[in-house]
Amino acid sequence: MNRILHHPVLDVPGGRREVDFLFDGVPSRGYEGEILSSALFAAGYKRFSVHRKGEAPQGIFCANGQCSQCTVIVNGLARKSCVTPLAAGMDVRTLVGIPILPADNRPRGRMEKKSVETDILVIGGGPSGLSAAMELAGMGFSVVLADDKERLGGKLVLQTHKFFGSEEDCYAGTRGVDIARKLEADLRSIPNVMILANSPVVGIYKDRKAGVYVNASSYLLVGFKALVVAAGAREKSILFPGNDLPGVYGAGAFQTLVNRDLVKAADRVLVVGSGNVGLIGAYHALQAGISVAAIVEILPKINGYKVHADKIIRTGVPVRLNTTVVSVEGDGRVERATVARVDENWKPLLGTAETYEVDTVLIATGLSSCDEFYDQARAFGFPAVKAGDAEEIAEASSAMFGGRIAALSLAKLLGKAVTIDESWIAKREVLKSRPGDVSCRDEETAGERWRPVFFCTEEIPCNPCATVCPTGSITLRENKGTIMDLPYYHGSDCKGCMACVAACPGLAVSLIRRIDDAWTEVVLPFEFDPWFEQGAILPVLAQDGSFLEDASLQRKFFHKKYRTWLLTLKVSAANAPKAAGIRVQAEETTRPMPSPRFEHLPDDAVVCRCERVTVGELVEFIRANRVTDVNQLKTIRAGMGACGSKTCTPLYSQVFRKAGVDPKDVTGGSVRPLAVEVPMGDLVNEGGRP
Amino acid sequence: MKTFDVVIVGAGSVGVPLAYCLARKGIRTACVESEASWGRGQNRAAIGGVRATHSDPGKIRICNESIAIMSRFREEHGIDIEWRSGGYLFLAYDEAREKAFRELLVVQKAAGLGIDWIPADRVLELAPGLKREGLRGGTFSPGDGYASPLMTSTAFHKLALEAGAEFSFGETVTGFDMEGGRMTRMRTDRETWSAGLFVNAAGASAAELSSLVGMEIPVHPDCHEGGVSEPVERFMEPMLVDIIPDDESGNYYFYQANTGQVVFCITPKPQVWGTDMDNSSGFLPLVVRRMLEIYPRLRNLRVRRTWRGMYPMTPDGLPVIGYCREAENMLLLAGMCGQGFMIGPGLGSIMAEVIADGATGAAASASGEYGFIFDEFTPYRKFEGMEMLK
Repeated sequence: MNRILHHPVLDVPGGRREVDFLFDGVPSRGYEGEILSSALFAAGYKRFSVHRKGEAPQGIFCANGQCSQCTVIVNGLARKSCVTPLAAGMDVRTLVGIPILPADNRPRGRMEKKSVETDILVIGGGPSGLSAAMELAGMGFSVVLADDKERLGGKLVLQTHKFFGSEEDCYAGTRGVDIARKLEADLRSIPNVMILANSPVVGIYKDRKAGVYVNASSYLLVGFKALVVAAGAREKSILFPGNDLPGVYGAGAFQTLVNRDLVKAADRVLVVGSGNVGLIGAYHALQAGISVAAIVEILPKINGYKVHADKIIRTGVPVRLNTTVVSVEGDGRVERATVARVDENWKPLLGTAETYEVDTVLIATGLSSCDEFYDQARAFGFPAVKAGDAEEIAEASSAMFGGRIAALSLAKLLGKAVTIDESWIAKREVLKSRPGDVSCRDEETAGERWRPVFFCTEEIPCNPCATVCPTGSITLRENKGTIMDLPYYHGSDCKGCMACVAACPGLAVSLIRRIDDAWTEVVLPFEFDPWFEQGAILPVLAQDGSFLEDASLQRKFFHKKYRTWLLTLKVSAANAPKAAGIRVQAEETTRPMPSPRFEHLPDDAVVCRCERVTVGELVEFIRANRVTDVNQLKTIRAGMGACGSKTCTPLYSQVFRKAGVDPKDVTGGSVRPLAVEVPMGDLVNEGGRP
Repeated sequence: MKTFDVVIVGAGSVGVPLAYCLARKGIRTACVESEASWGRGQNRAAIGGVRATHSDPGKIRICNESIAIMSRFREEHGIDIEWRSGGYLFLAYDEAREKAFRELLVVQKAAGLGIDWIPADRVLELAPGLKREGLRGGTFSPGDGYASPLMTSTAFHKLALEAGAEFSFGETVTGFDMEGGRMTRMRTDRETWSAGLFVNAAGASAAELSSLVGMEIPVHPDCHEGGVSEPVERFMEPMLVDIIPDDESGNYYFYQANTGQVVFCITPKPQVWGTDMDNSSGFLPLVVRRMLEIYPRLRNLRVRRTWRGMYPMTPDGLPVIGYCREAENMLLLAGMCGQGFMIGPGLGSIMAEVIADGATGAAASASGEYGFIFDEFTPYRKFEGMEMLK
């Protein structure tokens, strides 16, 4: 069973009811109500379907109800396994080719029109949608909030790390998963809000109604006056041969499997992309007991927050810059991933290729906004706002603010006399800022009293250390005049309470205190299950991941509020101020195979995942037909699949360029929001359905 | 200025096949289109049905030609357009429909149509699981079928390019220069075109285009919504048409495409006139209610997408084909009433013959084997009545 039975940060729920189900006739067990794709993963199944084109095995990709790649046959019907809850006795089968429509010839049953009216429809119950709904309901508007997941909170429920930002504004220092619980509870306590969980919006219509598919069983038309689109984002795919093999997942899918559903989805992964999502994804893998061979980044610098990068590098995961994936191969699943350095034009240098034996490749190369409903609403002339990732890809902390601001703008559009607090806008801007200046710090020296050492050298919007210090000894040194500024310790009042060490979301604070001329005590934060006891010898690393020394553990202490271990180590006086973390992963884990093993077939990369249309097929078609309109690619079925061309669209400019057409001269494809397939019987709420 | 023998306005269901048919005869042909590429007007919204089963002899003749071209397309050109001779099946669930269909059979057979009455049992063989109760049978025309509008227009575009036709996209016609009852030049937002013959194949914009030469034609678009399901293994063969109207709708029809997807469409009641292409919340519940009524097993079929398209309608449901008195070198191929996709290939082939013969204006209707088409669909007719199988 590939289950995570213990997790350093997440509670593993006990007492869940186990049920039996069949997969391709083989008896399996899973938890009642858990998401089917996760039950299948836990049972060791990663191949969900066999594509009719090329009989290619297909695994999960987004785990988010968007891409349809995880479709299986459930009790005779094709269903996306990532949004289907497991029930006792389910007969689950691999979807081979296209499904058979059951010969259910019972006469049409009684039908029912279901509808509800509201002032505001909020699409999406993530941080921005929840915040917007709360704000609007507080102003007296009736609100319907529809979210496609069972649990509200959007991606917060996958986020086991502590938040950046400030404590007063956006729960900084609190883990995303806990913020989600709090926001949901707050919203549920408000009477004029109707929450539709597990209810994707499938379309909005000119007559100011939205079609909502409630609980995978009924179709509800929601009439609304105005719309908040907070539908989040979807993962970008990238092009390399083997990019549709089972085992190539979006980083968000991986976080869903590992953090939400506590499934050990892999043994050894390669992460593609060094933005915050990739860095955090790698960290989450380690927390779940999964090894990380490397993080590769095509750019010459790390794309995410430096503290996130430092944190993962210190655990023993290398970040390889100027490097890309050239091939992922295996017999029906990922077995090997080959990477190579790139030249200044991002062309891979095949002579530098190295192959890793991994079973999973995480794609963390960015997100694109799910803002189609907003664009459509604007085209229809409805009052509408967008918020969160649907507006701009940014951190959840800024999304919470963005949601509140969007709510006020909408209220204004609806004629309410509201003024938007300028400071909110300023705060949102700060919270979504890209990292600012990087500064050098003078090396600290240990004294008789405890003092903090900061490994926080890059400006990011964050201040929990300054907030939690009981003696007020940590302040931000003014540069920008916002929470972007870096923290510094001043004075001599540190009591060694370790609150700053535990609260820092970047794990970028240690405490040091002199023992004698030769030795110093160092307190380091640690977010893994400690497998060691007092007296153990642990490899201590510097901020850049370089090895300092083996040090002995004096004490370990679990800080409950921040769910972080605090390790006190005896480190040599010379190294103590540099000591920033403990290696978690052995060096062997990150070694490639002795010699590279791959075929270089870049034309085989899949652009349209739903219909398995490759780069080579598209380039040939574009040339032969002089295509300059994305819509014409549908002739060879690219973009015609269940996802509604959401996954392939961002890739087309690369494809056109490869075919010798300047993407500037290319007309974009028509936008089709409906991406959730609803059975006809449910569209008319036919009674007596099985 | 660009000079061609023929300039076609509109690269859609009608214009693109015509461009190909002309170019392959060595006629220097250009096609000017305001959209960004071919088939982006009504063609992209067509559901793909192709039938010769009409109540009008001219349409029967043209569509028979279309079927001949499309059914041999792969064989002849090596390009798949997803043609399938699935047939059209008009269902009779009441006496009135049975009577009307049987009467129509006489006309249809006389026009050379391969169509006959089939009993309910045979209907159920072609569409297993269809509601048996009340089913009296239907008229089945096995030679009819369906193809992908997108693949078909892309194929014709490619063939036209290879035959030497030129296309210009994203270009809008602004006016014509007239001289002695003839058009000498066509002006657009970026070019001036000169040609011996201009063809108005502008679909929903045809009336607007002909008004530039002072001619009014009664072509007004109305809107229909369509939808497509997920693909499933083939379970039904023909295009099913139920023309019984109810309070909210007229006829509706659906078929299973070669990809396995069920494509469906309904005529709303009252008709929605205009060019508003925005989806309405009523479409899915309405069309699904009617489809499940006769085909309950569709209850488990998942709808993938919906869209809205225009039918460039004429008052009598028949196209407008002919030369203009106002400008004798303008050929109207307009008012396809939502059937441009099935009429286009045959019409293109026929018109290329006529144009190659060189007879224009009044001479065209008097000459050759296709003269009757000009008589029947002349823009100067009275536009009375309504084609029954519209």
